[in-house]
Amino acid sequence: MGYGRFLLKRGVQGVGVVWGVVTVVFVLRFITPGSPIDTVAPLDASQETRQRIAEELGLDQPLYVQYLDYLAELLQGNMGYSYISSIPASVQVFQKLPATLELAVAASLVAVALSIPLGVISATRRHEPADYAATSFSLLGISTPNFWLGIMLVLVFAVELNVFPTSGRAYGFGQTLAAITGPEPFFTVATAWLASLFLPAITLGTYFTALITRLVRSGMLDELSQGYVRATRAKGLPETLVRYKHVLRNTLVPVVTVLGLQLGTLIGGAVITEAVFAWPGLGTEIIRAINARDWPILQGSLIVIGCGFVLLNIAVDALYAYLDPRVVAE
Amino acid sequence: MADQNTSRRRFLTATGSAAAAVALAGCAGGDGGDGTETDEPMDTTEGGMETTETAEPTERPEPTTREGYLQRANRLIHDEAPWVFLHRQFSVYGQSDDIEWQPRTDERVAAYAIEPATDSGDDVVMTQSQMDSGLDPQDHRETPTDNIVLQAYEGLLERDAEGAIVETLATDYQRLDETTVQFTVRDNVSFHSGDSLTPEDVAFSINRIVQEDVGIASPQVDQLLGVEGAEVASTDDRTVNVNLSGLNPIVFASFATYCDVMNKSWVESNDGAYINQNMEGTGPFQLSNYEQGVSVEFQRFNDYWDDEAAISTFTINAAGEASTRVNRLVAGESDIAVNVPPQEVSRVENNDGTSITAVPSTRVIFNAMRYDVEPFDSPLFRQAINYAVDLESIIENVLQTFGSATGQPTLEGFFGYNPDLDPYPYDPDMAEQLVEESGYAGAEVELVTPIGRYLRDVEIAQAVAAQVDELSNVSASARQVEFSTLVSQVTTGNIEDKPPWYLLGWGNATFDAIQTIQPLLASDGSLTSYSNDELDRLLDEAQQLPSETN
Repeated sequence: MGYGRFLLKRGVQGVGVVWGVVTVVFVLRFITPGSPIDTVAPLDASQETRQRIAEELGLDQPLYVQYLDYLAELLQGNMGYSYISSIPASVQVFQKLPATLELAVAASLVAVALSIPLGVISATRRHEPADYAATSFSLLGISTPNFWLGIMLVLVFAVELNVFPTSGRAYGFGQTLAAITGPEPFFTVATAWLASLFLPAITLGTYFTALITRLVRSGMLDELSQGYVRATRAKGLPETLVRYKHVLRNTLVPVVTVLGLQLGTLIGGAVITEAVFAWPGLGTEIIRAINARDWPILQGSLIVIGCGFVLLNIAVDALYAYLDPRVVAE
Repeated sequence: MADQNTSRRRFLTATGSAAAAVALAGCAGGDGGDGTETDEPMDTTEGGMETTETAEPTERPEPTTREGYLQRANRLIHDEAPWVFLHRQFSVYGQSDDIEWQPRTDERVAAYAIEPATDSGDDVVMTQSQMDSGLDPQDHRETPTDNIVLQAYEGLLERDAEGAIVETLATDYQRLDETTVQFTVRDNVSFHSGDSLTPEDVAFSINRIVQEDVGIASPQVDQLLGVEGAEVASTDDRTVNVNLSGLNPIVFASFATYCDVMNKSWVESNDGAYINQNMEGTGPFQLSNYEQGVSVEFQRFNDYWDDEAAISTFTINAAGEASTRVNRLVAGESDIAVNVPPQEVSRVENNDGTSITAVPSTRVIFNAMRYDVEPFDSPLFRQAINYAVDLESIIENVLQTFGSATGQPTLEGFFGYNPDLDPYPYDPDMAEQLVEESGYAGAEVELVTPIGRYLRDVEIAQAVAAQVDELSNVSASARQVEFSTLVSQVTTGNIEDKPPWYLLGWGNATFDAIQTIQPLLASDGSLTSYSNDELDRLLDEAQQLPSETN
């Protein structure tokens, strides 16, 4: 019962978020200079041609009519059609989503794999060289701009050393899975897939790694000074069990929150990394849509990202409850 | 009010050309001494001006040909200077030594022209700045999509690397009378699906562009202006008649630029979304894989009516960042990088196995000066700005020589280009003097430039503004706006909505002067910043005559 109500509440909130996003984009149309017609029509198009294109795209209607029409369509699951390619927005956006999800998940994996050990080492060897190394790394990671790191990694590892591809996405996760049974050699496909994913994932994951390292370190230090730690030690538990079973688990509660929320930011915020690596994901699509004033695509992308945020929030809350049962009691 | 404007304009026009004659003659005389220190073309510039300008414009005999009228129009524009004439933009490509390929003037890259130089040159990859806006060959009008579409689709006529018209799906073309032209459709041509090309397909394809009820609201309709429709004249002779609303001197030039032929039954049995994601043409390559917004892959079409393509596969992908395109080329992932900006040129040249190829494009870059606002309503002031700009220096330093100076709106090699006109020389003293004479000494002007739309547009605008600002009696600055902002101001059809002074680029794929001058400078042009009765008259006369090249 409680869980159902919780989900229902979140679902309603999610619809509200999506509605808000759509509304904000429509308001932005008011204040954004330039019209999609200018992208579709050549510069010297006659006023008649412009008018015809406007009618075809439905742009001749007053904005509130367009808004209501769009909401009505949306309720029927139709996100409209790209002004530029006439392809349904849902098709175009969902084609781009896997690449972005893949990158966000890969960046998170990089971050988790690096940051938790770094944070633990840092906290348990406080004021020792290892701690200084880890904290310096995280400071550097937080203060390095994403795009600069990306460009440097490409210059060194792709252009000079030729170890990784410079940009683009060779294969997707789906294609890689298909290669297990498909005609293309699995090993080649998998290698190409991982190689093209590696540098973007590192670039996107670095800031994230640094952030979580700091979080784990301070959380762990906090927990280590708690009374229960002394009690478990007094009970004679081995130090590793104290650290990893009790302290780390409690430390992970805020870490999971940040991780979940950051994953949402990664999906929407990978724009710069995607641009540097010409990664064919939602970020690249959003830039293109903004430049071309391709509003249906922009709205579709933002709706998907908005939904992603909502779902992740629900997932984080659920995990929270698992890691810290007191949350449920509240 | 309108009357006042007209009379004022006439007056200015008259004084303007008289003063220009004086000014230019003076310049040629005064510059003779140090003219030897500048480079050769500059020297001939002075000579050319002296001889042409000593004759009074009114004494010139009325032209008799279309070309003559267009050349006269270019002279008038040069003298009246409604623009700050800047440069012709170059298309700069990076290419791998694995292939042999020469770029075309019209900026389109046809894989059919690529030949392998090594074994790995058989599968060619090209990286351009953006992907297509859908694969429908008639539903776009921009180069990135052209490049993708033209591998698989063909028109009746085409252009060679220099821009001359050549036959593709037509074997013959002629004017029957003033309002009818006839194409003979090539026999034994098959679509990628195996269907044979019929005259009916050709007529349908033309109508699909120009008649909205047949096809789509095609942005190419203005490119086929005056074309009312097409019909099959004789199935046996494979002829198609195209009806025009009046004499259109550039009708064949237009057909050589846009009008890809599609398979009628294929178009009619599929919806727009499908047509935008699949291809059914007659071209030398057929679509083998399409990932929207990511890449397009072609393979050689073995039933092509002409010689088969020299390369087996051609892949087009995109990277918005120029450095990313160059990275791909340098790392060997790509064989052609489109639009290599000046700052990246050395990376391509210093790398083993890649080189730079540049070709003059069909795009002219200029600063329009609105004729109806102070101080640009004075031809003397507009000439002064032209003298104040050191074009050679901008081309050398900002564009690293990838550009050529212009002195008229029409580019060299285009129909109507006037070979007697040379770019305005850099002469700040003359500029200051002309500003004094114009009565606008102390004027403050602002140049509006789009950001990143044209190669180094902001840097060019800043250089122009700084050079004008150097004049003792004018102060100038540059202001950056987003391109769409500028577009929304210049396309309203009202001159009042435009900024007084703005940078714009203009690509003209018809290779005919009219397609630049008419929209940009004629009184009724869709983007005009200028109005001059004599110019309008010259253009009207030119449009009454067929082009000799037809």
